[in-house]
Amino acid sequence: MGCGLDMVDASLESPAVEMTNVTKYFGPVEANHKINFNVRAGEIHCLVGENGAGKTTLMNILYGLVQPDEGEIRIFGQPVTIHNPLDAIKLGVGMVHQHFKLVESYSIAENVVLGREPKKGIFVDHTKAIEITSQLSKEYGLAVDPNAVIRNLPVGVRQRVEIIKTLFRGSKIIILDEPTAVLTPQESRDLFATISNLAKGGKTVIFITHKLKEVLAVADRVTVLRRGRLVGVLNRDEVSEQRLATMMVGREVLFQIAKTNASPGEIALETNNLKVSNDLGILAVKDVSLVCRKGEIVTLAGVEGNGQSELIEAIAGLRKIESGTIRVNHTDVENKPPRKVRGAGLAYIPADRISTGLCIRETVEENLIAGRHINQPYCRGIFLQLSKIREYTQNAISQFDIRVSSPNVIAQTLSGGNMQKVVLARELLFDSDLLIAVSPTRGVDVAAIEYIHKMLIQARDRNRAVLVVSTDLDEVFQISDRILVMCNGEIVGEFDPRITTREVLGTYMIGARKNGDGISTTAA
Amino acid sequence: MIEKFFPKGLNRFWSSLLSIIVAIFIGAIIILLNGDNPVTAYQSMFNSSLGSIETLAATLAVATPLIFTGLSVAVAFRTGMDNIGSEGQLYMGGMAAALAGLVFNGLWGPFHIAIAIAAGFIAGGIWAWIFGWLKVRYKVDLVVTTIMANYVAILFTSYLANYPFKPPSAPIGSTAFLPDNTKLPQFFPFSTLNAGFIIAIVCLVLVWVLFKYTRIGFEWKTVGFNKTYASYIGMNIEKAMLSAMFLSGAFAGLAGAVEVLGVQGRFVQNMSPGYGYDGILVALLAGNTAPGVFAVALLFGTLRIGGIGMERVTNVPSELSQVLQSIIILLVAGQALVYQIRGVWRQRKHHELGKPLRS
Repeated sequence: MGCGLDMVDASLESPAVEMTNVTKYFGPVEANHKINFNVRAGEIHCLVGENGAGKTTLMNILYGLVQPDEGEIRIFGQPVTIHNPLDAIKLGVGMVHQHFKLVESYSIAENVVLGREPKKGIFVDHTKAIEITSQLSKEYGLAVDPNAVIRNLPVGVRQRVEIIKTLFRGSKIIILDEPTAVLTPQESRDLFATISNLAKGGKTVIFITHKLKEVLAVADRVTVLRRGRLVGVLNRDEVSEQRLATMMVGREVLFQIAKTNASPGEIALETNNLKVSNDLGILAVKDVSLVCRKGEIVTLAGVEGNGQSELIEAIAGLRKIESGTIRVNHTDVENKPPRKVRGAGLAYIPADRISTGLCIRETVEENLIAGRHINQPYCRGIFLQLSKIREYTQNAISQFDIRVSSPNVIAQTLSGGNMQKVVLARELLFDSDLLIAVSPTRGVDVAAIEYIHKMLIQARDRNRAVLVVSTDLDEVFQISDRILVMCNGEIVGEFDPRITTREVLGTYMIGARKNGDGISTTAA
Repeated sequence: MIEKFFPKGLNRFWSSLLSIIVAIFIGAIIILLNGDNPVTAYQSMFNSSLGSIETLAATLAVATPLIFTGLSVAVAFRTGMDNIGSEGQLYMGGMAAALAGLVFNGLWGPFHIAIAIAAGFIAGGIWAWIFGWLKVRYKVDLVVTTIMANYVAILFTSYLANYPFKPPSAPIGSTAFLPDNTKLPQFFPFSTLNAGFIIAIVCLVLVWVLFKYTRIGFEWKTVGFNKTYASYIGMNIEKAMLSAMFLSGAFAGLAGAVEVLGVQGRFVQNMSPGYGYDGILVALLAGNTAPGVFAVALLFGTLRIGGIGMERVTNVPSELSQVLQSIIILLVAGQALVYQIRGVWRQRKHHELGKPLRS
């Protein structure tokens, strides 16, 4: 502590973070190769790259979760070895993960001080905790009520609590791992304001993302990684969306996929007054009636946890309904097992690839053929026709560009994007009349997003009905022919993407407005 | 640290083999401490279990019921059905086979045998199916129901063998002897090894083919790995669970039927020295695969028969085979635990990073 003044001096001159020649292998996989990563003190630095580019690995090294094979780290000019997150915290490095680590039943103040509680004798000094929280909250413009209980708070506020937590632990460098993945547009905007407040307050912010608009919105400087290597470092004035995308992917990327107007035909999916309960027995879907016609893409937009997953699971036959009707191709399918719904003409890409969409302990081949394994020519009598199955799998693998060394690879070993391609390949090849895709591009990189969107539009052009559930407004606007907004278990509005705006959708998504509030939103 | 002892590339086969070698090594130390020469002891164990036709026949005769019960447990476990009731299913199958042998009379031999065997197969299967149905319909825990069902089955068949079907002359609880034409042919005059072994081999091949080449085997495996996925992809998971449960019980029933028709010649109360429970160990060590079940059943047979021979030639008591068997089980079970801990640990790590599971 005696050298406190020297530390301040050093921090003014030397970069906050200086990682030199950092290399990390996971088995034969090169996660980071001789990466040099510099962050100036007090700047907002974006770290961008596709999935699997090595962003998270690099940050996990900085936060002590992963040990590098080679390389040197300096924090404010001091060479350091970071063995674990505790070391990192001592050095003033804090990280806000994608999945929050908060105690749901505790208040904000209690969560902030958890682990380092101010004491009064043997008891926790609650007054002090509240004081600490409100002081930090004021100082950095992070509006929170210290007494509010986490359970009742929206994601945006929870994230603020996580940031306050890192501040309380004395972080000077704050790493945010894809912080906007869970936020609405409004919440994201608040977050960007918070981030610039942090920077103004002298904190250094490292912002991991693969959303290019966010980079443009906040970054002072940008470091781009591709396949474990450093591609380049750009200043704010050198950055454009197209340039970043090209650097990330290594080729030109199309943002707006050419798409003709929809020509909706016959109804493929129809629900009437559907009511569905969630796992806790609480009504999560309240009276939803919707239709999806062949030849159109309908997106169900909304903040996660507003009944979308229960609604889709009910349609797919994975969840019992309370009342109402569901028809797929004019067949009543409510409370029928998934195989009956599939029989009626449903293909379904679930949100959760690992536990629902795939059997990760089976091979890629088994995952691709499943569901079709009972049909000719892949099965005769009780016997699987292994050579026919192999032929089919190899076709699917090349058609969907699934990168595997062999169809016999266990699905667990694939990257997130490749896993998604396996699910996509299997479901798209069913050629069913109705395709439901839940967050089809979550966690996949820019090039894969482009590809997945193309495939969905292609499915529509082949006169299939496509229903997409998405929390990502870029996606919603890019592919929709019609947008339904779901909030609190109800469909609160229907929009034409050509004449509505993100801001309008946002207000509906967070429940600030509802159909019948006097604003006409629907185009005929 | 764990990785050092169990490198990733080491697959189940090699690590099981390693467990056996380590067990033999530990056994050697015990023999040394006992004041005997481990080389002679193991030599006598080998010679008296696999060394000649006679001893080989004895070993295979011991292995036969273990193949059936091992398959029984393996089929259920692979489908995610925790059937530990093979013992009870064995008794039900044995009693059904005995009654079928006694009730029908004057049939052509092979036909009569086929009926008795089918009766054992079906009785074991139905007995297991009942609890599978309770699980599918009411989510009743299989471990609890099947272990309780063991007592019900053992006591129920004991009752039948002590009261309604006991001939006055019988000194213990048993049915009358079955007609001679129902006796499974024995291969040698000096051993109880009989055609039941052939049936066991057929069942082994059947299970192997089912899992490798048929749609129901694929569905069983998938349901065993991930029920949500199996249901989502359109498999009839209830049907898969019930059919696996039936086949599991049926294999245990065959163990009973073969014991009655090939060895005892009648149903005898308490005729199984725990074949059903041994089946759980066999399946565990075998990693629930058919070739594994064969190898492990053979190993258990070798240890048991060899142990008796070893006792005859050296001063080492035959209980040493029990010790060896226990060490192997401990090692393999411990290793399964290590894998599990490592899996959980890895999963937690990935969960923290918010990344999908990769290995």
